[in-house]
Amino acid sequence: MQAVILAAGEGKRVRPLTKNRPKAMIQVANRPIIEYVIDALVKNGIRDIIVVVGYRKELVTRYLNNLDIPVEVVVQNKQLGTGHALLAAEPKIQGNFIVLPGDNYIDPASIARIKDHSNAMLVKEHPSPSNFGVVMLSNGHVTQIIEKPAHAPSFLVSTGIYSLTKDFFSHIRENNLTDAISSLIASGVKIQGIPADDWQDAIYPWDLLKMNRRFLQNISPTHDGTISRHVSIHGAVQIGKGSTIGPNTVINGPVVIGNDCRIGPNCCIQPNTSIGSRVGVEPFTVMGDTIVMDDTTIGSHSRVFDSIMGERCKLADHLSISTITGIHDIECSPTRSEFGAILGDSVVSGPFLILKNTLVGNNVTIEGNTSFSSRQVQDNSLVI
Amino acid sequence: MCGIIGYTGKKNAAPILVEGLKKLEYRGYDSFGIATADGAISVIKKEGRISNHAGNAGTLKGTRGIGHTRWATHGIPNDKNAHPHTDCTNRIALVHNGIIENYAELKRELIKRGHVFRSDTDTEAIVHLVEEEYAKQHDLPEAVRAAVSRLKGSYALLVLASDEETIVAARMASPLVLGIGDAETFIASDITPMLEYTERVIFLDDGDIAAVTRDDVSIYHNCERVERPVELIDWSVEDGKKGGFAHYMVKEIYEQPQVFYNTIRGTDDASLPDYYRMKDPITIVACGSSYHAGMVFKYLLEECCQVPARLDYASEFRYYPSPASGLVIGITQSGETADTLVALRLAKAHNCHTLAITNVLGSTVTRLADTTFYMRAGPEISVAATKSFIAQLAVLMQIINKFCGNNHSDTLLDAHTAIEEVLLMDISETVALCENARSIFYVGRGPFYPVALEGALKMKEISYIHAEGYAAGELKHGPFALLSDKTPVIALCMPGETYDVMISNIKEMKARGSPVIAIGRNGDTNLPEICDVFIPLPGANIFTQILTATVVLQLIAYHTAETLGRDIDRPRNLAKSVTVE
Repeated sequence: MQAVILAAGEGKRVRPLTKNRPKAMIQVANRPIIEYVIDALVKNGIRDIIVVVGYRKELVTRYLNNLDIPVEVVVQNKQLGTGHALLAAEPKIQGNFIVLPGDNYIDPASIARIKDHSNAMLVKEHPSPSNFGVVMLSNGHVTQIIEKPAHAPSFLVSTGIYSLTKDFFSHIRENNLTDAISSLIASGVKIQGIPADDWQDAIYPWDLLKMNRRFLQNISPTHDGTISRHVSIHGAVQIGKGSTIGPNTVINGPVVIGNDCRIGPNCCIQPNTSIGSRVGVEPFTVMGDTIVMDDTTIGSHSRVFDSIMGERCKLADHLSISTITGIHDIECSPTRSEFGAILGDSVVSGPFLILKNTLVGNNVTIEGNTSFSSRQVQDNSLVI
Repeated sequence: MCGIIGYTGKKNAAPILVEGLKKLEYRGYDSFGIATADGAISVIKKEGRISNHAGNAGTLKGTRGIGHTRWATHGIPNDKNAHPHTDCTNRIALVHNGIIENYAELKRELIKRGHVFRSDTDTEAIVHLVEEEYAKQHDLPEAVRAAVSRLKGSYALLVLASDEETIVAARMASPLVLGIGDAETFIASDITPMLEYTERVIFLDDGDIAAVTRDDVSIYHNCERVERPVELIDWSVEDGKKGGFAHYMVKEIYEQPQVFYNTIRGTDDASLPDYYRMKDPITIVACGSSYHAGMVFKYLLEECCQVPARLDYASEFRYYPSPASGLVIGITQSGETADTLVALRLAKAHNCHTLAITNVLGSTVTRLADTTFYMRAGPEISVAATKSFIAQLAVLMQIINKFCGNNHSDTLLDAHTAIEEVLLMDISETVALCENARSIFYVGRGPFYPVALEGALKMKEISYIHAEGYAAGELKHGPFALLSDKTPVIALCMPGETYDVMISNIKEMKARGSPVIAIGRNGDTNLPEICDVFIPLPGANIFTQILTATVVLQLIAYHTAETLGRDIDRPRNLAKSVTVE
């Protein structure tokens, strides 16, 4: 059995986090989303894995090369759509195969349910079906897929995970995978709709926080690095090699901390926090429900909740982030959201910055004593 | 500077040799050949690259064999000059890496005794010598010993005989490694072909002769049996694979943030021996990219530590009077660069303390030097050096840091993030300016002068566009005559004491009509106004500015060569480790 993982697309709605990496490569609970997909396949004994890369392909390929599980990499040179991406893998396909998005989580049991069917798709109910392909079923077979309808006739959506045969390639005429599936149905092939158990997609950047909470439920505690004996740790906490946790720091799991981090003294890391590698958290800072990516530093006396910080940010002391509800224009459609702050890569800020429900782009510099509420700061801005 | 490989074991030798030669191709690729023994000796050899047309080479029968990929020194690259070479009776085959200096004399002598030469190579003389000795005593290791005792020059050679289970290896001033597998033994110029099969290796010393069978290795030195230690290699197979990248070079460019970080971490607690603090004269010897790394070091050492240093091309070192004391630092990625080895030997003979900076565990330079610092770059396959250059800078910057009492530790530990940011930049505008150029000038001042030299070297070696690095002030003294709208100039213009005068230089070049690509610090408001393309780099200090500028120049060279469709990993006429003087 072969599997094709589609990881070529950017995921524009997740900007600013996808400026420097495709959505599949965003680290959630310190592992890129695609790694959970590969894990689920391997747990099903599927080891012949082909990954289609495109957007920022060098970074994805570099990452895949370092995995323990060898995968084959093929390149989609222009990102024209999911069907077009799948075509890049066609020369490698021998028989039946599974195709799945690299940026959605799927549990291994659901894959087990679909892998022995030759034409099937995993479907799942979703509270906001209009963001997906809505699926109409009859007798367990798919009759129609309606791509992102304004008024969805059902809550059942396509997960983008299919079990297909080699014949399928002859149906890819447009660039879109869904169109090819519709063409397959029109040709009289019956496609079974099989319910998925646990499937997670992050449409908007703040959805990653929910995914983060979900993934952190499964971590097993490991305490490497240098941990002061005056540190108090509760629940499942992972601390990577070379990290130092200063005295009087309190960590309430589930929390993951990568390698070579410097945290504390006197910090408080609350549940559902993922901290990457080489991250610095300076004294008297409290954080929770947050993702901090590699090489970022958060200054002392800061408060960070419901937030995502990109890589290589340098955030000065007394950063204060609070969670409120607001409306953001994402790809020209107003979207309601509730979060603290989402920062791209290489954001530099001065002391006493206040952020509420704010999206900050990549390479942004913000002077101190600034306050933003329900705002979007564009990439490469300088805020004085 | 050729690659050689031998195998004896239970499997068919030919496919293993073919795959192994592909991994050694960086050492030379103008012709290749393999020979296997299965009752009789069969040979297939051809002009060209094994990776392009291995043809039926993999179909030869036999469980022992030898192979060769060539970088021509004596005799043009063609089928008959390709190795292996066989004796008059076709019972002995031989592959050789190195140069035999007295081959003309040996050849005359052998022809007089009735031997028929079929090639123009120096190597063929050796196989006829072995043939004569083997006829006398029918003991292959002894025959090879007697034959090589007649040779002057450098060699790593493998000898295969049709009626003898043993493959004999001999080494003098060219690298040779044995790989100990499970009922199989490998012999090769370096460890990359055997990584897939074993991690246990034995490095041979100069003068060693090894008799190798599938389950036994006997090593002789001056006719006496000696033991050489078995060492474990921690490079993984994946490191040596392209893994989905279009070229090794781009794979290695993208590995640089990790390589820099690993090297800095790996040399973090390496203490500098006392002699560094004695402020004795310091001399740096190196070739190619390593020389440029050495020049960066010289600038930084003099600027940050007020220690004067002398820098020589390793090939020129011997033509100056040698320093009578002090420290001589030799920089060589492979640890096998012949010129650097000669220079270090000379320095040692003059009682200097020698320090080697190399990437390859167990390489010749590590036996020669008093102290070795390893860069942790992993195997570098692309002929154009990228990650090894960055790793050299990491080691050298760490030495500066130690000199200055660890003042720059935080900067160095953080520098990989700036390199990563450069990898994310879009340089297509620059590439569009470069791809149609006939000549490109790279200019910089201070430590950015060697960065300019390195950038120009990358451009010329992989894109075949003529590129020259200059100290920015020197351009006026002649090369200005060449400036026109067809000769883009890439100017490195970072804040600091060189900034103002660089701005004036750029204006002078603009006035001669050259398109100027300025590489500067992000946030610079002057540069975008006076140049055609501005590339803003992160980097708040001299260390990260050097690193980021180096990486952006690598990317410009790579993408230009890619647009032009060049053979990036194996540029014409080159080989990776230059093991001849």
